[in-house]
Amino acid sequence: MSSEQIPSAAPSLSRLIQELQKLPGIGPKSAQRLAYYLIRLPDDDAYALADAITAVKQQIVLCAECQNLTDDSPCSICSDSRRDQDVVCVVEDPLDVLALERTRCFRGLYHVLHGVISPLNGIGPEQLKLKELYARLSGKQVQELVIATNATLEGEATAMYIRRQLAGSELKITHLARGLPVGGALEYTDELTLSRAFQGRQEL
Amino acid sequence: MAPPRAYQCEAVTLKKFPLGEADLLVTLYTRERGKVRALARGARRSNSKLMGHFEPLTQVKLSLAQGRDLDHVVQAQVVSGFALLKGDLGAIAKGLYVAELVDGFGSESNPNQPLYRLVIEALHAIEAAPESDLPLRFFELHLLQVSGLMPELYRCVECRQTLTPGRHRFSPNLGGALCLDCNPTDARLRPLSLRTLKVLRLLHRTPIAELPALSMDAALARELKALLSTTIQYWLDKEIRSNSFLEHVHHVAGTEV
Repeated sequence: MSSEQIPSAAPSLSRLIQELQKLPGIGPKSAQRLAYYLIRLPDDDAYALADAITAVKQQIVLCAECQNLTDDSPCSICSDSRRDQDVVCVVEDPLDVLALERTRCFRGLYHVLHGVISPLNGIGPEQLKLKELYARLSGKQVQELVIATNATLEGEATAMYIRRQLAGSELKITHLARGLPVGGALEYTDELTLSRAFQGRQEL
Repeated sequence: MAPPRAYQCEAVTLKKFPLGEADLLVTLYTRERGKVRALARGARRSNSKLMGHFEPLTQVKLSLAQGRDLDHVVQAQVVSGFALLKGDLGAIAKGLYVAELVDGFGSESNPNQPLYRLVIEALHAIEAAPESDLPLRFFELHLLQVSGLMPELYRCVECRQTLTPGRHRFSPNLGGALCLDCNPTDARLRPLSLRTLKVLRLLHRTPIAELPALSMDAALARELKALLSTTIQYWLDKEIRSNSFLEHVHHVAGTEV
């Protein structure tokens, strides 16, 4: 909703509503509610939010190595000499790095693609951080590339594309296992997941 | 009397879009109701019984409940996940191209069972022969047919005379082949060789499962592809986004389109 449509709102308030409306999932009504909530916030809290937005825009950069979001490049993971430098795990988004780090079972390095091949949305390989990945692989002694894209059609297509691009290299290329989630019921599992789970069965 | 709130249908998923914390907004092409946009609540949660059922290019049986703006998915069962298709990058690119065209040509609340059958047949044909471009060409031509836009392949669209072999051109905007004697001012003319015309007629009259393994040289394949995609583009009147990835995959594979 533009400021012309809410003539009773002050210009500064209209501007805030317009800016909030640009956020994903925020419609005109939600933007108005958030704006009035922010006005009622204590000054310290409102300024802390404004400062946090300013700081993140000024300080966050992409790590020159892994392309993850960081305050300092190279990031804390890439500059940690205790991590296994031979294994690189490719993920779609920075949030995937957080999810994998929470598992504490991977001690190698990451590479963030910042997206996934999505032809229906006009996103092709050239929009991803793939050139940076290839450059990284050619320069260092990486032994294994773990492709940890989501188990979606786009994620699988991206994994296949990377594998095809790196065909002929001596790199060991793996991807995360597909199968049943913890707590999942066979009855409600789709056939593709079930067949992948069967293919990946392990000896007890 | 108001229509029943819940209904069953069979559908193929064309695309999905994450919504909110864990929901999916899915675009389906249903056999019973044409294109339907529906909300699958919680379908992105790993313990959701709907998870994995709405990947693009999945054929599903559904129970849906009519909502005020969007229908809601109540139950889903996979009929075919097209697992082999999804294991081949080129086939995925082709499948997504099919999905985009169906999304463009299909309309909401307007069932078109021949179109539904065509999509399923085309996906099975792509799965069976991922290296061949013929299933895509078949799909494009028959998509035009089931949408009521079948190009004329036997007579001149202007003078209605039967075409003389070798003396013809093609006009996407006038709806098919033109003889050399007719020169309408508004025709966007393209070359139409006799070989291409014969392949088009073969594609038109042969069921997809009985298509012979044609060995087309690069020039013929290019002309056929260009003619059909120009016609599709003319009627769709918007950019086909998946086309560039399809071209890219072909280029990487080093195959001639």
